Amino acid sequence: MEVTADLSFIHLISNASLLVQLVMGLLLAVSLLSWWYIFIKLFAIRREAKLTEEFEEEFWHNQNLNELFKYSKEGAWHEKGGLERIFVAGFVEFVKLKKQQGMDASAVMEGTRRAMRATYQREMDRLESHLAFLASVGSVSPYVGLFGTVWGIMNAFRGLANVGQATLAHVAPGIAEALVATAMGLFAAIPAVVAYNRYAHDINRLSSRFDSFTEEFSNVLQRQP
Amino acid sequence: MNATISYDPYRFPAGLLALAVHLAFFSLLYFGFTWQTQPVRAVSVELWRSLPNVEIAPPIEPKVTEVMPPAPPAPPLQPARPAKPALTKPDIVLPDKKDKKKPETKPVDVKPEKKVETKPEKKAETKTIQQIQQEKELEQAILRERLAIEREAQLAAQAALESAEQAEREKAAMDAALDAMVNEYTAKITAKIRRNVVMPPDVRDDASALFRVTLLPGGAVLSAELKKSSGNSAYDSAVERAILKSQPLPLPADVAMFNRFRVLLLKFRPVE
Repeated sequence: MEVTADLSFIHLISNASLLVQLVMGLLLAVSLLSWWYIFIKLFAIRREAKLTEEFEEEFWHNQNLNELFKYSKEGAWHEKGGLERIFVAGFVEFVKLKKQQGMDASAVMEGTRRAMRATYQREMDRLESHLAFLASVGSVSPYVGLFGTVWGIMNAFRGLANVGQATLAHVAPGIAEALVATAMGLFAAIPAVVAYNRYAHDINRLSSRFDSFTEEFSNVLQRQP
Repeated sequence: MNATISYDPYRFPAGLLALAVHLAFFSLLYFGFTWQTQPVRAVSVELWRSLPNVEIAPPIEPKVTEVMPPAPPAPPLQPARPAKPALTKPDIVLPDKKDKKKPETKPVDVKPEKKVETKPEKKAETKTIQQIQQEKELEQAILRERLAIEREAQLAAQAALESAEQAEREKAAMDAALDAMVNEYTAKITAKIRRNVVMPPDVRDDASALFRVTLLPGGAVLSAELKKSSGNSAYDSAVERAILKSQPLPLPADVAMFNRFRVLLLKFRPVE
């Protein structure tokens, strides 16, 4: 039982033609990478959502902006969420512009908003990194697997033509080998597609949250003396 | 730069998890399927033509006898019981008759006789009349019994005879059917061969050639041997050629019947 299973499973891969083996190897690598990114993004987005929640709460409860800024400046930069960074960037720019004499209020607000937008863009880029990879894995890897399968089946039938008497036993192993490629392609593609849709939705929500915070924070700054 | 740094904490656990997912998937593939690669084992089959009938029969028969006892005993025993009495009862019954005679005649017959001889003669005369009547009655009774017993025996014997005759008749019918079939096919074979005989000239009408034809299953002729010449060698060889030419010879579809066609003695005449 064990021996035959071992033989056949390894045979399925080792007996396949070189191209099919290459396709399988590629798909395995792609699948590993996409799963790696899936988990990275899962943790990162979860953490981002949690930090955003925490900072919003902090921001609306603590009316003293200077204190909040001091507190935000203290911690390690990479442990902060996107929202906090936007806040820090906007506040730093606002203070700098305020110190300069002869700036009218609208120019100060304009500069602050630009600074916040730049940080927002960077944060979004960070959050969306690797999502494109997941999307292309989801759409392309089934085709790659299918290509391997078609190639394998072509080989199987060519082998069949060489044999005088055609039986199912002659074709079946070749087709099974070939189908392993499709299975791997689907195995890589399905989670990638699901993860891409889920993460795109989550990031969309985060971005709208960042946007609304930026607007609200601008209003708060405008009210500053 | 800042952005990339914030990824650090998740890279390692995420990589481990990805590996775990793949290991799980491949272990599922590995253990979840029974990869059927064992070639189907060759099965050797022995083909029997006619023997199975003979070989299969014995194992079935004991079963039949085991199962049958409730049923067959009833029919066989009924004829058997009467049949045995038919043979045995005469032995058993005869003593009965003697016994009956002895007790019935002696106490009744002899004692009165003694009385008749010793005691008053008148009474003896009257008694003798009574005795005669009694004796007659007894004899009649005995006769009746004997007749009854004989009838029973006869009936039993008849029943036994009838059952035996029935079995014989059935056998005879079977044999007759078989013989009819053999005759039918022998006639067919002869007719087919006859059609292929190219008559040589100058063959006498009363010439008759006897051939011993050995057949193979399927109707092929293994050998055609001249047993008795017709006296005209041209006719003999014409018949032999016809036999070989008319292969395959018609045979019954039932393969078991072939044994009766293995060797045929065929007689050929120019005019039937």
